[in-house]
This record gives sequence, structure tokens and C-alpha cells, in this order.
Amino acid sequence: MGRSCEALKIVNRLNVLRAEHRITQEKLAKEVGVTRATIVAIEKGDYNPSLGLAFRIARYFKRDINDIFSVEEEEK
Amino acid sequence: MKMLDQIMLKVFLWGLPVLAAGALFNHIFDTGLAAAPMRAVYNASGFAYALWMLLSIYLGVRLILSGPFRDSVLARLTFIRERDEREALLTGRATKTTLMTSLAILIFLFCLSCFQVSFFKLPPEKALDGKTRGFSLGLKFSLLKDFEADRGNTALRRHDVFSYDGLPVSSSAIILLLIVWQIVSYNCTMRRLTKPE
Repeated sequence: MGRSCEALKIVNRLNVLRAEHRITQEKLAKEVGVTRATIVAIEKGDYNPSLGLAFRIARYFKRDINDIFSVEEEEK
Repeated sequence: MKMLDQIMLKVFLWGLPVLAAGALFNHIFDTGLAAAPMRAVYNASGFAYALWMLLSIYLGVRLILSGPFRDSVLARLTFIRERDEREALLTGRATKTTLMTSLAILIFLFCLSCFQVSFFKLPPEKALDGKTRGFSLGLKFSLLKDFEADRGNTALRRHDVFSYDGLPVSSSAIILLLIVWQIVSYNCTMRRLTKPE
């Protein structure tokens, strides 16, 4: 439409937080009620979690959701 | 009802080897290799087959009507796994692909089933403008199967060199093809979606 379309890319610090807390992907997956493959996909940026899952992860790490997930704007 | 369905399903599945054994026995009996007093077993296996058929109809209807039963049985048959939200999302994508490809196949098969192509030779006395060879193209569609009679009449008048009259595949084969295709397509798409990049 003659206007640049902005796509939102969600980035996360899940692997950093996991390293800080020294927990495995398997354990985190079990704690938040998903499979390990989902945690892997989130860390790699292949999958954006639902709001519910994002809040569960934030609650598990006792952090604000914005400390874990943030939006990176990219031009399409 | 759920308990009854599960019991019926188990009877249906465990009945398969019994049925196979019964069919083998009946074949032996029909060829005259088994002794006449074995007729009771022959009759019993026939009765068991009739019961198994009734059971399969019951289970087929339950699969259509009962959502939980359908989910539990067909999820196992198609290897659908929805352990979390990501897998549910991927299942959605895979089923969409399966639906679209199945629809494409059905449209293609429908077209093939409607086409009629025929290359033919006419007897010299029935030549059209002096020509005894020709071809005809046609479209056919009918809800009822009545083409066999029409085709028989045409075949009497001319000699078909080559004739294509709809799909030469039985309806059972097409239904089986679609069932297998849906399972294969779903699993291939799911594998592609879950494959690490």
C-alpha cells in the first residue's frame, strides 16, 4: 500500500535465565507444562509462546514478562 | 458409554486374528480337507464373522458420533500428539496441509472420473463423410451408476481402439487411498514442521 509493513519479532532471554538458574531444558519444560522440544523452539526463536505460557515462564523465574520477552521491530 | 466403547474396540481388535483363523479354517473346510463333523466350527466361525461385522458397523457409527472416542482412537491411528500448545499449533498446520492436498486430489480424481475419451473405428457402411476412424470426447456426471448400460450400447455400434471412460478404480480403492493419504500426508507434514532447521 506504499507504506512499509512492520513485522514484530519477539526475542527472549530464556537460555540466559536458564543458565543463571542452572536448570535444564527438560526441567523447565516440566515446570511450565510443555515438552522439551517447545523450550528448544522458543530459545531458538522458532516458536513464540502463548501469553499463558510466557506468563508461566516469567512466574517460574520470578521475573517480569518484559525481562524475558521483548519485541524487536524489523522492516519487511 | 466410554467403557462400553473401549470394550467393543478391544473385542474388535482381538477378534481380527480369530477371524483370520476362522477364514483359513473355512477355506480348508470348503476344499473338503476338513472332516464333516467340523461343520459346527465352520458355522461358529461364520457366526463370529457376522458379529464382528456388526461390531465394525457399531464402532464406525461411534467414531462419527462420539468426539472423545474419535479423538482417542484416530489420534492413535494417525500418530497425532498434542502434548502442549506448540504441538497443537503444528497439528493445526499439518491438518490444514492434509485437508488442502486431499481436496486437490479429490478435485483431480473428480475431473478424471468425468472425462470420456474414445478413439474408435466404424464399420465401412457407417462411415461418416467417408471416414471410418474418429475420436470422441465427453463429460459425464451422474449421482447413480448407470453408465455401464450406455457404454454397452455404444460398444455394439463401433469398435473402440482406445477408450477411457472415467477412473478405472473401484470406490473402495479410492476410499482406502484417501485414508492412507491423509495419514501419510499428516505425518510427513508434521515431521517437516518439527524437523530442526
